[in-house]
Amino acid sequence: MSAHFLNVIWVALMVATLMTWFIGKSGQMTANTVIAILLIAAVKGWLIVYDFMALRRVKLLWRGIVLGWLLMTLALILLAYWLGLK
Amino acid sequence: MTSHTAGHKLHEYPPGDLAIWVFILAELFAFFVLFSAYAFTRLKHLDLFNEMQRTLDSDAGMINTLLLITGSWCVARAVAAIKANHAVASARWLLATIGTGCGFLVVKYFEYGAKFSLGINLDTNLFYTFYIALTMFHAMHVLLGMTILGFVWKKAAQGGYSAHDHHGMETGASYWHMVDLVWIILFPLVYIMR
Repeated sequence: MSAHFLNVIWVALMVATLMTWFIGKSGQMTANTVIAILLIAAVKGWLIVYDFMALRRVKLLWRGIVLGWLLMTLALILLAYWLGLK
Repeated sequence: MTSHTAGHKLHEYPPGDLAIWVFILAELFAFFVLFSAYAFTRLKHLDLFNEMQRTLDSDAGMINTLLLITGSWCVARAVAAIKANHAVASARWLLATIGTGCGFLVVKYFEYGAKFSLGINLDTNLFYTFYIALTMFHAMHVLLGMTILGFVWKKAAQGGYSAHDHHGMETGASYWHMVDLVWIILFPLVYIMR
């Protein structure tokens, strides 16, 4: 992984974190804001797994387990929050 | 060991020692259970969780997220540097990673200090039971990650790694990335989402 590419991923993760924080600061939570926050978390997690953990070039089984953990955790959280919004 | 798929060389196993990956998967499962428990317990105590979450310092949570992400970037740069045979730079990146871990714990110290000075503890209410248990459990992982990277840094500073031999560094790096990955979910879940 080139140093420049890692730098780009780092900046993207920092910006995404500030977006999450800003959404949290900016008032009432709706279903849309909850989905936006979880989508940002999914993208951040994906970048960490693929580019920092360097699973991009590892067989699908390993990538699948870690990404499966990420997506399943976020999906369960989404379900719980969706039930709470009803 | 590698295989070829669609022109890309895919590695058989993830970077680092396979044993650390068994440990990482076990840790991820533990956090999956804890996050699910938080989310579904919140469902039964919506007003309490929403009210109590507003008492948290989301700025501290944000700063700590930036610190962990920066730490993950530093350790990724350390691995990239050693792969290019830049041993001195690699050791410096490792030291920077440990520095971000220290920063994380300092922020946590002040964050907990502010809460404990108000008499808040594990028994205050269900939200704070989860907040303290989840974040302290995670902070223990930060401490363990720093300890592992401390040993890796010591070996790196002594010239113990090279472009052809950096398996140990990748092992420590993989563990640190797991600590970061878990916080990526913990931060919005506990500090932001209401």
